Amino acid sequence: MNIQFKKGVLELCALALLAKKNRYGYELVNEISKNISISEGTIYPLLRRLKNDGFVTTYLEESSEGAPRKYYQLTEAGKKMERELKEEWLIFVKKVNSFLKGGVKNE
Amino acid sequence: MNKKDFISKLSTYLGGIPVEERQDVINDFEEHFKEGLAEGRTEEEIADSLGDPRALANQFKANILVNQAEKTTSAINITRAVLATLGLGFFNLMFILGPFIAIVAVLISLFVSAIAIIAAGITIFFASIFGPLIPQYFAVLINPAVAIFGSIGVTCFGILFFVGCIYLSKILYRLFVRYIKFNLRIITGKE
Repeated sequence: MNIQFKKGVLELCALALLAKKNRYGYELVNEISKNISISEGTIYPLLRRLKNDGFVTTYLEESSEGAPRKYYQLTEAGKKMERELKEEWLIFVKKVNSFLKGGVKNE
Repeated sequence: MNKKDFISKLSTYLGGIPVEERQDVINDFEEHFKEGLAEGRTEEEIADSLGDPRALANQFKANILVNQAEKTTSAINITRAVLATLGLGFFNLMFILGPFIAIVAVLISLFVSAIAIIAAGITIFFASIFGPLIPQYFAVLINPAVAIFGSIGVTCFGILFFVGCIYLSKILYRLFVRYIKFNLRIITGKE
């Protein structure tokens, strides 16, 4: 898949995964790389950017294995961002799909 | 590449960003390795799938330096931020360095114009006062009163112009930082 496509949706994927529940870094990377092949490290600069821009916060929580994990949680601004990006994405995909299927009527 | 190599490369390429930030980034990767190892993967596998530590470091650096430029307005900060984005590939050369040079050039020319106007005003002012005393050096051909008040006017205009340039620089600075951030969102790297 085209690399610029992936870059663009990575942010949305991360936000969407965090909208369901708080997750730690490794978990997020795993969830995303299961479906989208990308160099996994890229998610960390993305998470840091989201944190700096106030879309996520982090907290440490002990794991069953003992070592504390850094969890990421959406802020209110992050939730809003997730909704908006998702909405935009869905509309965008719908339009592109209708082009691909050739079923666009002239208006 | 094992964990130690990966982390030390990352740390090296992260040079130039504040120590706590660097440590924070490294902690995230230490944790990543720990989780991966617990799942039974090898250090080499994990490092491979993380990608090139240099490319990653460049992404962190660009983000961190742009944030710094946003927090503290300074010519040095914005220059460092721009330089950091250049490490991210060709697109940034076109979309960030190009506009940056253009903006800086326009601002410099505006500032130089303002300074020239102020200098001209001051020169005329002194020339019209002292000119009549040393006519062999200065020939003021208009009424001295007009020249004096005119020169004060020109100087004031120059100062206003200069202040205007400072405001304009600040506005452009903010807009440009926002523009870089927007670019970082879409174009984050080579891979």
